[in-house]
Amino acid sequence: MQPDTSAIPIEPCKHCGTDAPVDVHFCPRCDRILTLGRHGDYFTFFGLHRRLRVDIKDLEQRFRALSRQFHPDYFHNASTTERLASLERSSYLNDAFRTLRDPLARLEYLLKLEGFKPKESRDASATVPQGLLEEVFELNEELEAIQDIRADGAPADAIAERLDAARRPIEANLAEHERQLDALMATHDARFDAGAAEGRHATLAQLRTLLLERTYLTNLLATVRRELNGGGAASS
Amino acid sequence: MSKVVGIDLGTTNSLVAYANGGAPAVITDESGDTLLPSIVSIDALDTIYVGREAQRRLLTDSARTVYSVKRFMGRGIEDVKDEERWFPFKVSGEAGGVVHIHLGDRELTPPELSGFILRELKRRAEAFFMKEGDFDPEVVAAVITVPAYFNDAQRTATRDAGRLAGLEVLRIINEPTAACLAYGLDKRREGIIAVYDLGGGTFDISILKVEEGVFQVLSTNGDTHLGGDDIDRVLVEIVAADLGLDPATQADAVQAVRKAVIQAKWDLSEFDETHVELSQGPGCTTPYRRRLTRAEFESLIEPIVARTLQPCRRALEDAGLEPGQVADVVLVGGSTRIPMVRREVERLFGKTPHTDLNPDEVVAVGAAVQADILVSGRREMLLLDVTPLSLGIETMGGIVSKIILRNSTIPASGSEMFTTFVDSQTAVDIHILQGEREMATDNRSLGRFKLRGIPPMPAGLPRIQVRFQIDANGILSVSAHELRTGIEQAIEVKPSYGLTDEEVERMLIASFEHAQEDINARMLIELRNEAETIVAATEKTLRRPDFAGIAAALLKANEVVTIHAALTDLKQAMGTDDRDAIQVKTGVLNQATHHLAEVMMNWTVQAALAGRTADDVAAQGR
Repeated sequence: MQPDTSAIPIEPCKHCGTDAPVDVHFCPRCDRILTLGRHGDYFTFFGLHRRLRVDIKDLEQRFRALSRQFHPDYFHNASTTERLASLERSSYLNDAFRTLRDPLARLEYLLKLEGFKPKESRDASATVPQGLLEEVFELNEELEAIQDIRADGAPADAIAERLDAARRPIEANLAEHERQLDALMATHDARFDAGAAEGRHATLAQLRTLLLERTYLTNLLATVRRELNGGGAASS
Repeated sequence: MSKVVGIDLGTTNSLVAYANGGAPAVITDESGDTLLPSIVSIDALDTIYVGREAQRRLLTDSARTVYSVKRFMGRGIEDVKDEERWFPFKVSGEAGGVVHIHLGDRELTPPELSGFILRELKRRAEAFFMKEGDFDPEVVAAVITVPAYFNDAQRTATRDAGRLAGLEVLRIINEPTAACLAYGLDKRREGIIAVYDLGGGTFDISILKVEEGVFQVLSTNGDTHLGGDDIDRVLVEIVAADLGLDPATQADAVQAVRKAVIQAKWDLSEFDETHVELSQGPGCTTPYRRRLTRAEFESLIEPIVARTLQPCRRALEDAGLEPGQVADVVLVGGSTRIPMVRREVERLFGKTPHTDLNPDEVVAVGAAVQADILVSGRREMLLLDVTPLSLGIETMGGIVSKIILRNSTIPASGSEMFTTFVDSQTAVDIHILQGEREMATDNRSLGRFKLRGIPPMPAGLPRIQVRFQIDANGILSVSAHELRTGIEQAIEVKPSYGLTDEEVERMLIASFEHAQEDINARMLIELRNEAETIVAATEKTLRRPDFAGIAAALLKANEVVTIHAALTDLKQAMGTDDRDAIQVKTGVLNQATHHLAEVMMNWTVQAALAGRTADDVAAQGR
């Protein structure tokens, strides 16, 4: 296990003043629901380590159990402070569950927690990742060629066939990225369990690159699909 | 302890139910009715009628009677322009504001009109508790259901209606979710459940996962302007064209047509053909009779049924499921009695939908269960619902930036950082929207907020964090902080399509002035209700396609003539205020149809046992 060297943040219970760690949900002394701490994270909130591979059944069970503790339904007759705490804690729980149950959202979240910047800007998808330059160049050429023959009135199935051919290498690359992401996540968890902080950080950096590339590949496929559905105009 | 009830505030009918730790049950009125028609009428003396009496007044005083008010909740005049022509009442309102409905010389908002319906349900429940000998029969609070696809404005309008009726609205819950709660409780089923809810005016589809007593909604979709009303309108247009009716000047006649086509619609859920029948009256110089087959009816409503299927597919996709993964399909809402609807749902999900719970009552029962959970604090069951539409704010260029995505479990929150564009700017305008479209103008405007009191700083320096919180009712609240100074910002809200708190306060006072209870009037109404029930049942039997055969074989020679005479007599008496005459003639018709009822009952039993047609049974009787 990775030793946690940081001090555990404390906040006093608004009801009895007892100091409680921010990720404890109920006051150790008076048992009332605590207002939401500001320093916690989704993993600790669920009582989980910062691992990338999560047992979904277990996560769902924790989600249901915590929902049963916090839900505003059960604080109907409580004080205003407790009602607010229940509302905030439930909202946070729902956000946390939505993020952690999805492997990629989970990875993105962990990267942010560990200090990696999520994306440079809103247009991150417009800058081609280094590893994909060649591939993107080829695809763009092919798409232009297809647009030309479409303009010249080529039959629809001929266009569809070329688009399919153009799509296949990207799909293969995407599948390869998924496989590598999977393997690296396992590596990350092993390093986490071994307490190898530096190795873990390096794995996260690799994961971040792969994740950005993967996002880019997904967008490329969407472009091809749009082209397949009649060309050019964004349908959604 | 005072009571907390569950209320299904429907487009066509409303119901109230109660659970007290035990089996939940729908509360009936004095004449045993569970359904309260969601119709309000106000006469020239300002007396307010709700329910069946208002429904009758639709035929005699349609300009002062309003139905389907739910379609106007939280909506603007521009949303309802298209269909206004077929409503007997007039509506008005400013663009982007609350709709006003005209009843004679009075103008009322949809929350006020819904408030009258809620107040009648509150009265009904209190009368029931009083009769039960309860020490504290007062109903102070309620859980009220809304379509899952209702937006923030429509939910808020519903909550306002509750306040206007003198009810504390403990919770707004979604109709399909309430139905699933009632269903899950009844069947003790777990797994993926799809609830298909086609009501009078709204359509919802919700996909839920039920596990360990937690009812978690995975996704929801729908259309808040699609339901039985639309089916009725298609049929009304055909008959009105036959008769050459002009809805603008012959509103009472159009309502008579509407009543007749609704009857025919119901018939066709049972029989392969029926007749739309209208007796002579205003706008109808000779008796009108038009044959309508089920096949013809289905081709007419096919486009309406088809409009429900796309939302179902989207909901499945959002939940990440294939139709085959759905374990149970539950049907809710009166319109799911239509065989074609059942067939199409079955085809989409590949399994026979459950129809064993009463589709009219199941939502109210679920609301009562939720009310019981809130009051008792018992934790065996928990509803986790979602917000049906994404919430966002308008950014530069009229683009929407989404803050809380659709199908997020509620309560849900999100925050967004704002800053200033010019030096020493002290206020920022924020436009909040709900919907899935890119451009702000294509989405629903929820309101405009003004952040005030920002400390004067150079442009771009203030960091104002705005927090959006959707509570367990699916209703939004907003708060803001300037992070550099920690100053809490004042927020001014101008709701689009909604009432301000002050307006609700004012209406609350006004509604007390008009509340009146007249015991004699109520007795007359009850007698008319009773009369109407037996008239409807008798007419339905007489309209059966196989009636002539049954009558020839099994009834005495002059029996049918006697029944017709008693029927005409009673209908004539119902048009008067003569209580004794109504009572006596109800008795006469009851007597006249006694043998017929027995014959029909035996026939139904025999036919069911032998699986034979009417003609077979009639032949045997001969």
